Order: sequence, then structure tokens, then C-alpha cells
Amino acid sequence: MEPVIEVKGLKHIYTDSDNNRITALEQIDMQIMPGEFVAVIGSNGSGKSTLARHLNALLLPTEGSVKINGMDTMEEDNLWMIRQQIGMVFQNPDNQIVAAIVEEDVAFGPENIGVPADEIRKRVDEALRIVDMEAYRTHAPHLLSGGQKQRVAIAGTLALGSECIVLDEPTAMLDPRGRREILATMKRLNKEKNITVVYITHFMTEAMEADRVVVMNKGKIVFQGTPAEVFSRVDELEKMGLEAPMASKFAFELKKSGAKLPKGIITNEDLAEALC
Amino acid sequence: MSIKLEHVSYTYMPGTPYEKEALKDVSLEIKKGEFVAIIGHTGSGKSTLVQNLNGLLHPSKGIASLDGINLADKTKEAKAARSRIGMVFQYPEHQLFAETVYEDIAFGPKNLGLDHDAIDVRVQDAMKFVGLDFETFAGRSPFSLSGGQMRRVAIAGVVALNPDYLILDEPSAGLDPGSRNAVFAEIMALYKKRGITIIMVTHSMEDAAQFAKRMLVIYQGKVIIDGKPGEVFLKEKDRLLEAGMDIPEVYKLADALRARGMRLPSEITDAKTLLAEIKKRKGLK
Repeated sequence: MEPVIEVKGLKHIYTDSDNNRITALEQIDMQIMPGEFVAVIGSNGSGKSTLARHLNALLLPTEGSVKINGMDTMEEDNLWMIRQQIGMVFQNPDNQIVAAIVEEDVAFGPENIGVPADEIRKRVDEALRIVDMEAYRTHAPHLLSGGQKQRVAIAGTLALGSECIVLDEPTAMLDPRGRREILATMKRLNKEKNITVVYITHFMTEAMEADRVVVMNKGKIVFQGTPAEVFSRVDELEKMGLEAPMASKFAFELKKSGAKLPKGIITNEDLAEALC
Repeated sequence: MSIKLEHVSYTYMPGTPYEKEALKDVSLEIKKGEFVAIIGHTGSGKSTLVQNLNGLLHPSKGIASLDGINLADKTKEAKAARSRIGMVFQYPEHQLFAETVYEDIAFGPKNLGLDHDAIDVRVQDAMKFVGLDFETFAGRSPFSLSGGQMRRVAIAGVVALNPDYLILDEPSAGLDPGSRNAVFAEIMALYKKRGITIIMVTHSMEDAAQFAKRMLVIYQGKVIIDGKPGEVFLKEKDRLLEAGMDIPEVYKLADALRARGMRLPSEITDAKTLLAEIKKRKGLK
């Protein structure tokens, strides 16, 4: 199987408003396979969002390469294809809504790439059904809740035909119910539609649900692995300004006090099972 | 000393097809020295509520007052009263605008009509307070700073106004755990050292549980729950979930342990206590 996303030796340098050259990304090597659910965590300024923007050619490498299904982002001819294949969902739901009616908003992407009208109709209906927003198809997006707006944004990428969706802190501005809705939607898309998911988040309870967690610090990938592997490194995460889930932290503390516990405790259920 | 809402209702766009009653007959008092968390889902009315608390919006019905002064009045006293209630909006770093950090923080005190020296004292003081070194940062462009630093500049701008009451809208949204702790260390210092009353709107149950002394839950334009966070999370789980909210992780972990048969006291509201209880049960030190 070919990777959906293949990043090799990626470096990104930009010039800030004081004219300093800043290295935002360095030595990034990453492969994401079709159907994977990958969470990316890291402190503010670690380079997560910069990396996300490289994945659909919103930014281009200073050095190294980013390939999407084998297509290099540096080649301009590939741009339209890459941006169809990699859908992006950003933090602020209000910044990515373009139309006054939900279904028109979802149709915006396919319209832009010249999909025939009856095919657009099909895609929009299907996309709204998948994210469970059919009932709101004729509503005004600005009157929806944050979680509903983000689901409309996700439907937009599906209607575009994206097989991989990159979400950059999609739940940062949402209330608890909205957060649950988005995570559940993405897990369902991943399982049922085999959509590849790259999910950037500050919520470790969300990252816990991924197949793989990539940890970034100061522009580099410092380590990665299953949630159980990554979140066992309680100390290292804390040094980077991150926090392991509560069950992992408890397991870590209890082991220090002499408790014999198995490796890889991350959920409350894991800990309860090990202790009781 | 207190901010008081008496039978406050607020209707957006009255008399139009878009008319929406966002607050319905809300009465409450927030006394000086409190630390209040306001939670509620998107569209529940919490933003409308805080904007009525600080005089950015005036009630459609009822009265919002500070120490008996109606915040809706056009008098000098009412203006002075409104200026005692500061507000840090969501993502305050997006509101930075000046060419240097100094000018950005000085903007508020300047508008209060302070003289040059007094403004200087306020700016230096506010920067020190939020942990930004004056020599290093005063002359820099706020846009060259990291997200966490920008948020501190924005908070310094409000601190420089010396408010008695400070309303914070989602102060930890979009911050990593380390930056969140840094921002809350500042908020707690404002609360404890300066005695500023804190009113915080948040989607984070963890923030509410860890820092607030009182919690208001807003649902469909009304205050449905008003109490101590610990008591509310223990006793009102079902109503919280119904209102689109959640309970903090420590309560969930304690519940998971109880479900597996660990005998724990019913009133565990923080991680330290829970950890100590587990150790006791397991005979660990």
C-alpha cells in the first residue's frame, strides 16, 4: 500500500515581522497510510499547524518534500488534485463558512472544481447524511452551534471527494457536547468510510482515541507511537508543556509509590481494571 | 460591593423576524471577591449574560447595576462604574493592534485620561504582573510574539486599567496545557494578590472545577444551577449532561473505580485527594 501522506526531510523557514528568520519545522519525516487515524499533539508554537498547512500545499517546503498519494506539493500542476484529496478543517468554524444556506456551503467545493449539478446534489446529500446534518440542510449556518458548524465543514470536505481530512484543533472553540460530536463523527468516518484522519489537538482525551499519536516539540517530531506508548511517557510530555491523561498520570504516580501495574494504562477503565 | 442583575431579560433584534430572547428574567448577584465560572453550551446565553454584566449590552427588561449605579445610565457615575469592570474577550491576542507592546498596553490608561508618568507606571506594572520583561518586550511588535505571549500582552492591557471586576471569556481556549497553567497562574494572582473579582466564561469543566469558587450553569437563557463547583459536579451530573456540559476527568475516574468495586468516599473533587485515597486503599505510601 502506498502512503496517503509522505513527508521527507521537511524544513520550513519563514521571516517574521521583525525580519528574523525562524525555523518552524525541521527534519520532519512522516508517513501516513490509508485508513489511519493519527493525532498530532504539541505545545503552542511546536509547528503542528505549520505541518498541517504543508499537507495540502497551503505552505511549501523550504527543504525536503511533501507528497500526497505520490504527488509532490512543489509541482503546481498537482495543486488542485492535492487540495481535493486532502480536506482541511480549521479551529474557528465561523472562518470557513461561505454560504447563507448549509447545503450551499457544502456544495461550494464541488461547484468550484466543476462537478456536474446532479452529481453535486448527490454528493451534498450523502455528505450531510454522513455527518448527521441532513435535518439542517436548508438552515442558515450562522445560527448553528459550533459543533454543527464544524460538521458542516467536514461535510464540505467529503463533498469535495477528500479521502483524507486534516483537522487543526477542530474542537478548541466548542462546548463539551460539540467536542463529543466532532470526535464521534471523525471516528465514524474513519471506521465506516475508511477516511484517513490527521487530527491536531490540545485535548489528550481526544488524542487517546487515535491509532497513532505524533508528538511535536520545537518544530520537530520528538516521538510517536500508539496512545498507550506515548502517554506512558508522563514526565517527558510534561517537560514539553503537555499533559498525559489523568489515568496515565495516576498510574505513573502509583508506580513511583511501589504499585505493580501493567504498562500502557491510559483510560480510566484501564486503571480501574488494574487496581480492582 | 457587587454587580447585580434584577429580572434581566435581553432580546436581540426585537420586533423583527429574527427576534430572539437570549436571557429570560435572570436575577443574580456577584459580590466583590468572588471567583465565578459561567458554563453553558454555544447559544445558551452566557455571552449575552456577561455583556449585560459589564454594560456592553443593556437589559431589554430589568436592571444591571454596580453598587446601586445602573450600568445603562448615561451619567458620569455610570461611565465610571462600567470602567471598573474589565473584559478580556475570547482570543484576546486577535485584538492587539499597536506597533509596540508598550503602546498596546498603554492604550487603555491613555483613554482613561491619565498623564504620561502615570501611564508609564501602569504599563510597567502590568507587564511585570503578567511576567513580560519590560526591557525585552516593551519595544517589540506584539505580532512577533508567540501565541501565549500575545495573550499575556492582551491581559496586561486590561490589568493596566485596574478593574475591580474582570470578566474573561474562554481564557484557556486553544492553549496547550503548559500555557494554560501559565495564564491561570496570572489570573489567580489577580484574584488573590489584587483582590480582583473574576468572572470566567468557559467550556472547560476542568478550569471551572480547579479554579472557581462558584459556578453558574446557563441553559436556554436561564441560570439553571448556581453552586460550588464540587457540589454541582457531584450532585448534578445528569442535569449537566442534559445541558450539553460534562463532568471533570477526576469525577469520571473516581466513578470508574467505584464501578469496579473500590470503596471511595463520595466527596472526592480533586486529583490529589483521589490519588491519596487510592494509595490508602492499596497500602501504598
